Amino acid sequence: MNPKAASKKRKAVTRDVEEEAGVFSGDELSKGNLDGALSDNSKDLSDSEDDESDSEVELVDDFSDSEDGEEELDSDEIPSDTEEVKPTAGEPNFRIVKDANGNDRYLWDEIHPDDNSELSEVDENANTIGDIPLKFYDEYPHIGYDINGKKIMRPAKGEALDALLDSIEIPKGWTGLTDPKTGKPLNLSQEELELLRKVQMNEVPSEGYDPYEPLVEWFSSEKEIMPLSAAPEPKRRFVPSKHEQKRVMKLVKAIREGRILPYKAPEEREDKEEELINYDLWADEVERPDHVMHIPAPKLPPPGYEESYHPPPEYLPDSKERKAWEQTDPEDREKDFLPNDFGSLRKVPGYDNFVQEKFERCLDLYLAPRVRRSKLNIDPESLLPKLPSPEELKPFPTACATVFRGHKGRVRSVNVDPTGIWLATGGDDGTVRVWELLTGRQLWSAKLSDDEAVNTVRWRPGKDAVVLAATAGDDIFLAVPPHRWGFAASRPAPSASEDGKKNAPPTWIRPEAALVDAGVCVVIPLRYVPKTISWHRRGDYFVTVCSGASTPASVAISIHTVSKHLTQFPFRRRLKGGGPPPDRPLPPLETHPLLVKILQPGARWISSFDIHPTSSSASGGDNIIVGSYDRRLLWHDLDLSQRPYKTLRYHRKAIRAVKFHPSGRYPLFADASDDGSLQIFHGSVTGDMLSNATIVPLKVLKGHKITGELGVLDIDWHPREAWAVSAGADGTCRLWM
Amino acid sequence: MSEDLVTAGAAEAAQRQVRVQLISQEEDIALPESTGPILVPTGLRRYALSTLVNNLLSSEKPIPFEFLINGTFLRTSIDEYLVDNGISSETTLEIEYVRALIPPLHIASFQHDDWVSATDVLSTTSPAASWASGATFTKGQERILSGSYDGLLRIWNMSSETIATSPAAADGGHTASIRAAKFVSPNQIASAGLDRTVRLWKYTEGEGGFTGKISPQLELYGHKAGIESLAVHAKSNRLLTGSADNNVGFWSTKKADAPAAPENLLPSSNARNTKRRKLNTSVSTPQRGPLALLSAHTAPVSAAIFDAKDATVGYSASWDHSLRTWDLVTGSLVDTRTTSHSLLSLEHLPELSLLAAGTAARHITLIDPRASATTVAAMTLRGHTNAVVSLARDPHSTYGLISGSHDGTCRIWDIRSTKTDKEGVVGESVYSITRKSLEEEGKSDSKRVGGEGVKVFSVCWDKTVGIVSAGEDKRIQINRGEGVLSSKA
Repeated sequence: MNPKAASKKRKAVTRDVEEEAGVFSGDELSKGNLDGALSDNSKDLSDSEDDESDSEVELVDDFSDSEDGEEELDSDEIPSDTEEVKPTAGEPNFRIVKDANGNDRYLWDEIHPDDNSELSEVDENANTIGDIPLKFYDEYPHIGYDINGKKIMRPAKGEALDALLDSIEIPKGWTGLTDPKTGKPLNLSQEELELLRKVQMNEVPSEGYDPYEPLVEWFSSEKEIMPLSAAPEPKRRFVPSKHEQKRVMKLVKAIREGRILPYKAPEEREDKEEELINYDLWADEVERPDHVMHIPAPKLPPPGYEESYHPPPEYLPDSKERKAWEQTDPEDREKDFLPNDFGSLRKVPGYDNFVQEKFERCLDLYLAPRVRRSKLNIDPESLLPKLPSPEELKPFPTACATVFRGHKGRVRSVNVDPTGIWLATGGDDGTVRVWELLTGRQLWSAKLSDDEAVNTVRWRPGKDAVVLAATAGDDIFLAVPPHRWGFAASRPAPSASEDGKKNAPPTWIRPEAALVDAGVCVVIPLRYVPKTISWHRRGDYFVTVCSGASTPASVAISIHTVSKHLTQFPFRRRLKGGGPPPDRPLPPLETHPLLVKILQPGARWISSFDIHPTSSSASGGDNIIVGSYDRRLLWHDLDLSQRPYKTLRYHRKAIRAVKFHPSGRYPLFADASDDGSLQIFHGSVTGDMLSNATIVPLKVLKGHKITGELGVLDIDWHPREAWAVSAGADGTCRLWM
Repeated sequence: MSEDLVTAGAAEAAQRQVRVQLISQEEDIALPESTGPILVPTGLRRYALSTLVNNLLSSEKPIPFEFLINGTFLRTSIDEYLVDNGISSETTLEIEYVRALIPPLHIASFQHDDWVSATDVLSTTSPAASWASGATFTKGQERILSGSYDGLLRIWNMSSETIATSPAAADGGHTASIRAAKFVSPNQIASAGLDRTVRLWKYTEGEGGFTGKISPQLELYGHKAGIESLAVHAKSNRLLTGSADNNVGFWSTKKADAPAAPENLLPSSNARNTKRRKLNTSVSTPQRGPLALLSAHTAPVSAAIFDAKDATVGYSASWDHSLRTWDLVTGSLVDTRTTSHSLLSLEHLPELSLLAAGTAARHITLIDPRASATTVAAMTLRGHTNAVVSLARDPHSTYGLISGSHDGTCRIWDIRSTKTDKEGVVGESVYSITRKSLEEEGKSDSKRVGGEGVKVFSVCWDKTVGIVSAGEDKRIQINRGEGVLSSKA
C-alpha cells in the first residue's frame, strides 16, 4: 500500500508538473520516480493514510512552497554572492586606477579562498526581531530582519528542499547505490528502471502491451458483410490437397487415355456458312421516307453556361433572383432550374427531382395510351326536349293536292275566303283571280291594272257578304264577285251616290265600266303604293300600309271604313324605331291607337309577321311569328321577352311570308321562302303561363320552281282545315293538304 | 343420314295437305253437290286453286276465281294463311270462291269542251231505268249523261256521239258550272251546280236514238251557295242536295209537290243588271222551293244521299268532318258521326250497313251509321294520293266499291281484300284505273303533282256500261272488265 500510494502521489506530482510546464522530459520523470522510490520521508509515511485529494491539496501547497523556495533560493544565491563580496563591503575591495586612456578602471581585489576572517566576524544575518514569537511572521515570507534591516526570509522547509533536489541535475541512471559486484556506483538504465517499476507495480512487465486496448470483436454474433477474420490460415491451405490431387490424377489419366484432347484452335471453315443459314430480317430493308404524320423530335439547344455545374459568377442568381424564382409558381418559371456553383463535378449532388420526374415520365408512358377521351355515352336524342313526333301531330299539309295555273308572271298574293271554298290570287299580270279551292278551277278573273302588279288580295272576313279587296298600283279595289259562281248577294253593291260624303283625302270612286261588269265596285286611289291589306275581323274596316320608302309617314297607314266609304290616316308620325313601317300592321283598333310594345326580333329586314289567333285572349299568350329576309323565322312570346323566344333557321333563302293557322283548332304555322319551299310547323300555345310554346318542325313542302331568284311569295291557310295555299313566283298557286 | 331426314322432311312439307271444302254462292259456277272435301297441298296459291276449280268445273274457258277464307281474300299460300291465323291443318277449310274481278280495260273516252264534273249512266241495269215505271228502256240504248263546268249537260250514246245538249244559260240553262247531274228516269234529268239551283230537265229522244232534246222542266231555288252533290230517289220523287251553304236540301221533283220558291233567292229579285234580267226572263221555267233545308252542318256539305233501302233516311257528309243521318220525313237530325277529316263523298253499302265516305285525307273511311255501332270508322281504305271526291257501288258485288279521286285515278276496292297495317286492318285497292288521256299524251309514267290536269270528279259504275269516270281532262272515260261481261253474256 505504501509504495503504491507514494508512487501515486509522485505520479500525481509529476503529472501536475507536466501540466504546469507543458513540457516533460523523461529525465525528470525518472528523477521523480526515483525520488519517489528512494525517498522514504516521514511525511510520506505520515500521509500514507491520506486520500488522494488530501495529498493533492498538499501537493499543491508543496508546489507553491517550492516555488517560494526557488525564489528564496534565488535570493539566497545573491546573498551568497554578496557573502563572498561582503568582506570588502565596508571598504571598497577594488581600486580605481587610470587605464591607458585615462578612464577609470576598477581593479578588484584578489579573493583568498582560505580567508576565514569572516567566521570571526559578527553574524550579520542574525535575526534582530528580538523576543517576539516567531509566529507573528507566519503570514509573511520573512521571519524577521537582520542587522542591516534586511528581511530575513523564511528558510526553506522539507518540500522546498525536495524541490531543490529535483531541480538539481542528477546524472542519468544515478541510484545512489553501489554495485556490490563491482563496487562502482550502480547505474540503472531507463529500461531497467521501467521494468523495476512495473514489477513493483504488479504490472505486465513486457513492453508495448496495453491491457486496456479496445476490444475488437473479430468473432461476434453479428454477421458482417465482409468479415475480417483474423483467424489464422488453416494448415490445409499450405499442404497440397488430396482431393485436388485425385482430380488432377483423373485428368492426367484421362489425358493419357486420350479421353481429353488437348485444345486445338478452331479452324476457320468457309463451308460452315453454307450449312448454317442466317436469316437477316433487315437485309433488304429500304429506307422509307418519313410518314406524313411523323413529327421529328425537336432539336434542343446545347446547354449553356448557366446549366454548368460551375458557371461563371455572372450567371449565378443573387438572393433576390433566387427568392423570386422560388416564389413563382413552378408552372410559371422561366427556367426550371437555378444555376448553381458546385466547384467541381465531384461535388455535384444527385438530381433532387430525379425520382419525381422518372415517376411522372413513367406515369405518362403508362397512362397516356389509356387516357380515353371522355366520350359521353348519353344518347344525344335524349338530351333534346321531348318533342311529339310529327305523326302524332296530324293533320298537317303533307302533299300538293291542287295546282292553280293561269297567272302569267308571279303570283304575289293568295287568300282563302272565309267559307273555305274559294281562293283569291293576285299576280304580276295585274289580274285578280278566284278559284275553286279543291278542284283548282278558275272561276273569276278581273284585270285591275295593265302595268301594275296586284300586290295583295284579301277577302273580307265574315260569311254574310263577300268582298274582295285587292291592291294594284296606287289603288285599292273592292270587288263583289258576281253571283253566278255561287255567292249570295245579300249585300247590295255600294253605289256611287254614297261617295264624297266626307272630304277624306282619297275619295272612293267607281271603277270603269268594264271592271264594274266584272264585279269591281269601288276604287280607292291612294297616292302611294299599298303593299298590304288587313281586314278587321268584323269586316267593316280594313287597313292598308304603303311601305314604300318615299311614302310620307303620315299617310303610310290608312284605315278604310267600308260602310262609310271613308279613308283615314291614323298615324301622324312614323312608328317609333325608324325604318320603313312594318309590312303588316296590327289589326286596327277601334279606339285611338296606342303604341303598346316594341319588339326586338334581331332580324335586319323583316318580311312579314303574323299574330297568333289566340293572342290577347284568355286562353293564350301573345305570340307573334316574324319572318325575315335573312332566312330566319322568329317566334316571339310577348310575355317572355322582347327578344325572340325561338329562332328557326331552316331555310336557305329569305323568308317571304309567315302565317299562323287562323283557326284555333290546328296549332300550325307555315312560312314561305325564296328557296321554293314551304315549311310547316307545329306551334301549340297553352294558356298555362308556366309552359312555353311547343314548336315542332313538321314538313317541308317542295314544289314551287324558283323563278328569277324568287320562290314562294305568299302563303295562306284554309280557315278551318289544315290546308295551306301558297303562291309561287313560277305563276302557280298550290294547295297543300 | 341427316340428308335423308331433310329430304324426308321436305317431302313431308310438300305433301302436307289440308282438307278443303270448296263452295260458291253463285249457281252457274257451283260445283256439284257430290263434291265432298278434297285434299289439297298446303302450298297452293290462288292461281293453283283457280286452276283446280276450273278443272273440277270442266269449263271450256277458264274463269279466274278469287278465294275467300273466313271473309277475306286468300292472298298468300294456304300454308301461310294457316300459320298466320293459327289454324290447324287438320281442320277442314271452307273456301268460298267467287269470280275474280277482271282488270277493267279502257273502252272509250268522250271528249268535252270543258272539265266534266258529273256523270251518270242510263242502262237497263241502272237505277234510273229500274225506277222507270211507264217508260220502256231498250237494251243496247245505253246513255251516258255528263255535266260540265261550262254549264251544259250532254247525253252520249255508247258510240261517243252527243245525242243532246242542254240549253245554254240564256235559254234557261245553268248559269254556272254544273257540279252534279243524275238521271231521274229515262226521260228526266236532274242537275245542280254553282248557280245554286237544281234543275230538272225533260229528256226526249228522236227516232233511232240519234237525236235528243233536253228541255228545262223545273228550277228549284233554296240554296244560298253552290250545290255540290245531288241524289235522286225517283220512286218517291225526291231529291237530296248538299250545298256549300252548309245545308242539305230536300226537294220534290214534282211541280205540284214543291212549295214556292223563296222570293229573295230568285234571280229576278236581285239582279240589278237589266240586261241579265232580260236574259233570265227570256225563258220561263217553273220555279219552286225546297221541301226542307236541313241545316246542322257547320261547313259545306259535300255529299247527300238516300239510304239505298229506305228513302226516308238520308245521309250527308260535310267538310266539317261529320256524317249526319237525317230522317227525311220529319226533316230532323238523327245521328252525327264525327270523323277526323273533311268528308268529300259518300256512298251507301246497304248489304253491309256501312257508309263509305271519301275524305280529303286521301282515304275512304267506312262508317257504320247505325246507332248501335260503337266504333266510328269500321275500316279504312288507303291507296289514293289525293282527295277522294266520288264513290260508287260495285253493281256485281255487295263488297265492291269504286272511288274517284283528285289524284287522277279510280280505284276498285273490295272490302274483303285487306292487309294488316300498323294502324290495323286496312283495305287494299284491287285495281287502279288511270286516265287514258295521260297515256295518250305519253306521260303515263310521269307522276302528276296532285293529279294536275287529270283529276277525277265523278265516277259511276253500271253493270252494263262499266265504270264511267269524268274528270279534269275534259273526258268521260269508260272502263270495263271484259271477261266478266262475256261470262255473263
